[in-house]
Amino acid sequence: MDAATLLYQGLVGLNVAMSLWLVAAGLTFAFGVLGILNFAHGSLYMLGAYLGFTFYGSLDLDFWLALPLAAVTVGLLGVLLERFFFRPIYHLDEAYHLILTFGFVLILADAVRIGWGGVFLIPPLPSGLAGTVRILGRGFSVYNLFVIAAGLAVAVALWLLLDRTWWGRKVRATASDREMASTLGIDTHRLFSVVFGLAAAIAGLGGALSIPVQVVTPGVGTAIIIEAFIITVIGGLGNLSGAFVGALIVGLATAYGILFFPAIELFLVYLIMALVLLFRPQGLFSGR
Amino acid sequence: MAGDELTTLVRAARSIRPGVASPRTLALLALLVALALVPLLGTYPSWVMSQVLLLGLFAAGFNLLFGYTGLLSFGHAGLFAVGAYTAALLLLAYPSLPLAVVAGTVAAGVASVVIGYLSIRHTKIYFAMLTLAFGMMVYAIVFKWRSVTGGDDGVVGVPRGILGVPGAGIEFGGLGGFYYVVLVVTVVALYVLWRIVRSPLGLTLRGLRDSEIRVAFAGLPVRRYRLVSFTISGLYAGLAGSLTAPLVSSATPPMAHWISSAEPVLATLLGGVHAFSGPLVGAFLLIVLKEVIVRFTEYWLLVLGSVVVLLVLTFRGGVVSVLAPAVQRLWSQRRQDG
Amino acid sequence: MDRSPRPLLVLMVLMLLVAACGQDGAPGGEAGDGQAADGEECQLEDDEVRVGVQGSMSGAHADYGAQIEMGATMAAEEINADGGVLGCPIELEFADTELDPEVGTTNARRFVNEFGAHFVVGVDSSGVALALAPVMEELDRIFIATHAATEKLTEVAVFEEGNESVFRVSVPVYQDAIAAALVFKDMPELTRFATIGADYEYGRTAWAMFKETLSQHRDDVEFVAEAWAPFLTNDFNPHISTVMAEDPDFLFVTPWAGEAVTLLRQAQGAGVFDSIDVWWQAMGGSVDVLEGVTESVQADAYQGKLWATGRYLFNYPDTERNQRFVQTFRERFDRLPNYSAATTYTAIQAIRAAVAEAGSLETDAVIAELEGLQLPSPLGDEFHIRAEDHQGVYSVPVGRVVYDEEFGMACVCTDLTVFEPEEYYRQPPFES
Repeated sequence: MDAATLLYQGLVGLNVAMSLWLVAAGLTFAFGVLGILNFAHGSLYMLGAYLGFTFYGSLDLDFWLALPLAAVTVGLLGVLLERFFFRPIYHLDEAYHLILTFGFVLILADAVRIGWGGVFLIPPLPSGLAGTVRILGRGFSVYNLFVIAAGLAVAVALWLLLDRTWWGRKVRATASDREMASTLGIDTHRLFSVVFGLAAAIAGLGGALSIPVQVVTPGVGTAIIIEAFIITVIGGLGNLSGAFVGALIVGLATAYGILFFPAIELFLVYLIMALVLLFRPQGLFSGR
Repeated sequence: MAGDELTTLVRAARSIRPGVASPRTLALLALLVALALVPLLGTYPSWVMSQVLLLGLFAAGFNLLFGYTGLLSFGHAGLFAVGAYTAALLLLAYPSLPLAVVAGTVAAGVASVVIGYLSIRHTKIYFAMLTLAFGMMVYAIVFKWRSVTGGDDGVVGVPRGILGVPGAGIEFGGLGGFYYVVLVVTVVALYVLWRIVRSPLGLTLRGLRDSEIRVAFAGLPVRRYRLVSFTISGLYAGLAGSLTAPLVSSATPPMAHWISSAEPVLATLLGGVHAFSGPLVGAFLLIVLKEVIVRFTEYWLLVLGSVVVLLVLTFRGGVVSVLAPAVQRLWSQRRQDG
Repeated sequence: MDRSPRPLLVLMVLMLLVAACGQDGAPGGEAGDGQAADGEECQLEDDEVRVGVQGSMSGAHADYGAQIEMGATMAAEEINADGGVLGCPIELEFADTELDPEVGTTNARRFVNEFGAHFVVGVDSSGVALALAPVMEELDRIFIATHAATEKLTEVAVFEEGNESVFRVSVPVYQDAIAAALVFKDMPELTRFATIGADYEYGRTAWAMFKETLSQHRDDVEFVAEAWAPFLTNDFNPHISTVMAEDPDFLFVTPWAGEAVTLLRQAQGAGVFDSIDVWWQAMGGSVDVLEGVTESVQADAYQGKLWATGRYLFNYPDTERNQRFVQTFRERFDRLPNYSAATTYTAIQAIRAAVAEAGSLETDAVIAELEGLQLPSPLGDEFHIRAEDHQGVYSVPVGRVVYDEEFGMACVCTDLTVFEPEEYYRQPPFES
């Protein structure tokens, strides 16, 4: 196998990683701040894809308008979910967080069936991003380059937001000590709503971004959430930069696994997840 | 808290009153008689009740770990599948039901010791994620190891076998005979579980759930207790699995998938986490509700999901916690009247 | 504890909304209610012929179940309007297999024991069909598969193990694999073959059969790469790059339904069609797939290199019977019929024919009539059921996918090759 093949597969892995990162980012962010591991996060991604289809595919809005619209709509739904369903259960055992959000997995799977029917949907590729470029002597999708760029952009934006703004400081303060933050006059209720809305919006964005290259069906939510869990775990639950690296690991393991170890590719990611949990439960790259 | 445990202990001791048939015993006997009469209603009720009993068995064992020990596993479907596949493959090779059921249960027990030993290093969300990963590894194995497991087709055409060994055993006429096997095994296994829950071991596990530190302080090996709890619940998952394979005539990959791991969770939650009967009532409700609801709407998941959300937000004690006091009130009222 | 009633209110509103929307859920549903037309007295031991119909009606493959439901509904409506079966109406009941064998067998038991079904029809996945076979034998009722493709159902369960209860009207994996090999063996420019396969029995068997048949006719071909995608894969980019690294000129592709559309879209982006000569999309003739690729076909994204077949194509055979079927179906449901609709329609017609001939609903009597049944159907005027393995026999063409003005969508409408069934169906006795 020559170097070009290896490199090209690495680029494909990067694309897989960035698609997954867009799902895992919000999941990790919400868990880091709110302490809720949201089973329904994949379902919010799915909802983003359906809304993306409606705005861009059915209503024929511009793709660049459809993306933020889908993200914002899912974000608002996230705010409602947080306000009415999660707030009453923060004090409960984490088991109940998982179970409650699992309930929403079931609800949303049928809700989109009612809204959009059971047949899968896919709109045409947006015209500016439909082409193919030559990389390493082979074709590579322009749209996939765009997804890679979008994933990186979300990573940078989140980092700037959390690291460089006053609001980011408040979020970090609340994440590390909720009561202390409250005492210091931070409106944690409001903060939680915004954080969860933002997390949901990122999921919605990821879903809407997927719609020109992946069909959306009512089964997408459950298919994608486990991969997001794996990434969140590898990165250390709640650790955003860890999750970014986790996405890279899973993306590359998937791409190279299919190339080199097709027989155990399915097994491989769960093995990585278990090993990390056993030996580095704080995540692979956490100093703690 | 320590007082609580003491009260529970005293209450447990008081409930053992030899020679006096309490109302509860009578009710239990009535329930058993009713269950024994189910085949008279026809084949389909026996089929549904077989499923209820096996899910109840699965969920009751699961609840030893969840409700009593405070650990939420999202990987028990993997253990269930170990039991189902072992029993299915054995039944195809040698049609002795007891052998297959024992082997399936033991195999699941062995898997539980290994998975449990690794998983109980953590609690809470980490434990849930770790068991999820192990469960999905079992799924990946049964899906990929095609020469043995048949891949996605699974192991099909599993016979129910005979009660005993070939040549000297009872053969089942149809589903009815098998129903009684399921009923007897379930009742015996539940009785054993009930004794476990009431034993010092059960008390210690509950103590672990409420306060790990106190148990550790009392000089008890916390991890070992957790492993014992995990293994017992795994044995019950395997037992349920090894009876499910001959019931449905197959063992297939969806049995091992994490979505199936949610079933005992939902049954337990529906019935009630903190009552021994909770998972059993929940299993009944889950299966019968589905039976009824799919006749009216194709949106069964929506109904189930809404019920789950409602339960978590309002009745975390499950149906049993709502009904039990009501029944008790009714009972004491009638005694006063009489 | 927060006892605020608001979450409950929101939930209840949600559920009400849903209940309101859910009213117009499934098509048909009540087909076959009441007496058959023209008041003829029912001459069977039961006063109706009850058929349990199941398919994948939720999740990613929901359209196959919907098509099964439409095909059965239309057949029952037509039969009942035409006097029923010996004066008895056909009554249908539907269920979702969820593509889960355990659910499929539970449905069958509910059909037979509760609804009193005399027949069970449908099923999309091989796993469900294989699990169902012994159960139907136990229930002593007839199961007619209308989509599941595994050759094991007829070759092993029926022929080898003698399970008389199982029939199949749809063409099995021979269509995906053997018919394809017979077409492409005659294109000498194709030498490097690769697969992006569905990582389960269907994909594995199809690829093995294809390789075997092709190797019998050609000794200059190479099988250069394989990539296997599990069920419900949504990112095929690593699979595409894995096989494309070996520079194949022929791709044998078995993921179906929405996965097929996703795969084609992702391959299009990676410029796959610039370097290959043929993309063989085994079940690409499925209506949902054709609808999904129509825009790309119109834009010539596949450069005319997309080849496909199905278990039936709405544009073949060119018989009056099929044209009438397609037209009625379009008027009734505003869709084109997929193969699962045509095969299920045929299965219900076969039930009518066999029961009428047997004069009874007794399982053994009906089996005897179904064996060797000749039944002109939309699938073909010569459609019949082989007695030895209970397999329905008819021909489906292999061809290239193009846009068609008349249908207003993509279809397998050009370069059609049709083989006689004897040329590509495996024959009993099946030696492995």
